[in-house]
Amino acid sequence: MKRYIDIYLSMMKLSILEQWQYPLANYFYMIGMIAEPVIYMVVWSTVAMQQGGMVGGYTPGEFAAYYIVWTLVRSMNVVFTPYGWEWRIREGQLSMSLMRPIHPLHADVAFFAGWKVVVILLWLPLAFALTLIFKPELNPTLLEMIVFFFAIWFAYLIRTMTLTLIGMVTFWTTRVSALFELYFAAELILSGRLVPLSLMPEWIQSFAWFFPFRWAFGFPIESLVGNMPLNELLIGLGMQIAWIIVGIIFVNIIWKIAIRKFSAVGG
Amino acid sequence: MKGISLAYNYLRIGILNEFQYRANLYIQILQTFIALATGLIGLNLVFSQTTALGGWSKPELLAVMGVFTLIGGIIRAAIQPNMERLMEEIREGTLDYALTKPADAQLLISVREFRLWQIVDIITGFVVLAVALSQLNWLIDLWSVLGFLSALVMGSMMIYSFWLIITSTAFWFIRVQEIANLFEGLYAAGRWPIDIYPNWLRYGLTFLVPVAFAISIPSQALTGRLTLETWFGALVFTVFLFLFARGIFKLGLKGYSGASA
Amino acid sequence: MPSVISLQKLAKHYQVPEREAGLKAAAKGLFKRQYKNVKAVDEISFEIQPGEVVGFLGPNGAGKTTTLKMLSGLLHPTSGSASVLDFEPARRSHDFLRQITLVMGNRNQLSWDLPALDSFDLQRAIYSIPADEFKRTRDAFIEILEVGDLVQKPIRNLSLGERMKMEIVGALLHRPKILFLDEPTLGLDVTMQKRIRTFIAEYNKRYGATVLLTSHYMADVEALCKRIIVIHHGKLLFDGNLSQLAEKFSAFKTIGFTLENPATDLSQFGEVVSTDGSRIVMRVPKEKTSAVTSRLLNDLSVEDLTVEAAPIEDVIESVFAVKKEAVE
Repeated sequence: MKRYIDIYLSMMKLSILEQWQYPLANYFYMIGMIAEPVIYMVVWSTVAMQQGGMVGGYTPGEFAAYYIVWTLVRSMNVVFTPYGWEWRIREGQLSMSLMRPIHPLHADVAFFAGWKVVVILLWLPLAFALTLIFKPELNPTLLEMIVFFFAIWFAYLIRTMTLTLIGMVTFWTTRVSALFELYFAAELILSGRLVPLSLMPEWIQSFAWFFPFRWAFGFPIESLVGNMPLNELLIGLGMQIAWIIVGIIFVNIIWKIAIRKFSAVGG
Repeated sequence: MKGISLAYNYLRIGILNEFQYRANLYIQILQTFIALATGLIGLNLVFSQTTALGGWSKPELLAVMGVFTLIGGIIRAAIQPNMERLMEEIREGTLDYALTKPADAQLLISVREFRLWQIVDIITGFVVLAVALSQLNWLIDLWSVLGFLSALVMGSMMIYSFWLIITSTAFWFIRVQEIANLFEGLYAAGRWPIDIYPNWLRYGLTFLVPVAFAISIPSQALTGRLTLETWFGALVFTVFLFLFARGIFKLGLKGYSGASA
Repeated sequence: MPSVISLQKLAKHYQVPEREAGLKAAAKGLFKRQYKNVKAVDEISFEIQPGEVVGFLGPNGAGKTTTLKMLSGLLHPTSGSASVLDFEPARRSHDFLRQITLVMGNRNQLSWDLPALDSFDLQRAIYSIPADEFKRTRDAFIEILEVGDLVQKPIRNLSLGERMKMEIVGALLHRPKILFLDEPTLGLDVTMQKRIRTFIAEYNKRYGATVLLTSHYMADVEALCKRIIVIHHGKLLFDGNLSQLAEKFSAFKTIGFTLENPATDLSQFGEVVSTDGSRIVMRVPKEKTSAVTSRLLNDLSVEDLTVEAAPIEDVIESVFAVKKEAVE
């Protein structure tokens, strides 16, 4: 245990130092990312205004709150992509990490966790600017803030697991970009990224409950802006933990098979 | 003249190359389909709550989406791949290979890549546009067609120039892929009518990233909203942006030749 | 002494898609793939004792890297067995990985944007190296390689050779007992090669580590390895020491001598390799060496006559040339 803490801290330190070298590039990346929610925010605020100030239970101010928090959750969702897996296998980086006496996924989780620390720090002034411009209505309670804190890190872990699973498909075939695109499209619709799920038709909302997407995206946002009752907050955290556990189990099973395959054909 | 034959040759090689990877065609069709589906879902979600968005009706926004898809296809077929390659070569210091060829450097770096299968996007854009126009009971009118086509050319030139400007900054700053990412984000704003955005963003979109011009002016031409003044304004802006981009590129090139030893 | 590396009829076969050149054939290949069984490593056996430095030679595609990957656990053998420090490499147990290292000349694992020192600290954590031991080892390596000022600079600002030095330090910080080095000096200039060579020799001496090394540069092999293993087309061709290799495979010897009358026609004696004033170097088939020498001494007035084995590069080249003829 002590060893793993040491490894995690060292890896996070390394990635923080690394990312800190490029604050400007990181900022451009985040600003590029912010265009998307700003567009949604503007569109839906316009709709809400036309409908007498509210649509789907959201006022323009609440939309602003939703999409500003969205930007942080989206940043927490950035993990090693399937395309990264393709690169890592092709370039032989995987071989190098397999030579270390530690599961390579630990390195991934720790590396991106370190990056998140930088991202959150850089996000704060950005969120401040967006708040001045779009005047969100956001009055979270202390409890909601605590739940939100855990929810965004759980969201990070859920998405790490799902994208690792998708990424490992590259062990078998490299022509999988179609699969990735389908996955990302499903995620866009079912996660609450495109619009708050409450604006979706009923059947999509109940459908979304059974997929990991909303627990990695919509739920953390709603926990802060949605005035959810305590039991719903706890159920949400429970679902997140459940998905993390399911994810870890599947990742481990597929990983074993994938490595056996990798060791058979070489890297 | 030599330049044109050079461009033609690169294009030919690019297309032949693409034929080698026919599987990419199916992937492209799927990607276009997904983008179209999510776009339509977004549009339907909005219009399930309201009948007009900032004074635009649903068929009108569908037309905007058609133009958006169409120009997006042009960007990804001819502009973006060339610029990404340029960016890569500046960073890796391998641009010299291109510069030693006896042709105008800017022309050369702009025609080396061509993604044929993006034509799926371009066709889809036209189809969406046609559907939207028929919903609008549009009658073919020579002037609006000419206006549309010329606006399309100007819009593509503007976006090309803008890309060249940001790519050329790679001569001075190393990691610029994030700027490309920024463009993609802002381009997505073109899916919706420009007048719903707050003023600061509208001006940003129009002048910084010429998205509004590129997408809304062709749309305006089709719906008969384009005035001659706006058309001339766009023309002047296109020429200015092109010359500016050329200047920046040449400036960067000058510094590069000195540094790469 | 028990061996630390032991291979018993180790083999690795690949299924490789077979395709003819041309567009038509490529199109056909889209539907039906033909596969060919390629024996990358074909029943190789050898043993290596603790502390040995062994040169592992062969032309490109001979199966060197495949063998190293099997020995370090990245690849599963198709048949036969390998044992390294009494571990079965393919199981990749953490205790095994902690005692070996694999350095590949064209791969890097240090953070590109940071000084090497930061990456070294991660190695410490991953290999659970006690802090004081880590510091001692690190500083010793830095001193031997004379890179004290480089470890503070971001890797991306270093030259290829400087980067390789850092990679090697990083790969050896946990003081592995077994070193698999795949082209560690690839693409480096001569002084850099020399420095890295000296370091490997020093590491071997200091910690008694065992080294299995592939290199394209014969200078590496000559300087470091007493023993040579040569493979070709996946098969073991030779296992012995350097001079035996020359003995066994060199088809020629070189005869050098000074001639009083440089105008003499020498074509009847053998092939003249170089002429430098009155100094002549000739190449003659090995079995004719003594005959030619005595004829030279008898027929002509020559001085300072020397007979030498061909340089190792020529030997290796002729080994593979001979083999090629035999195969094709």
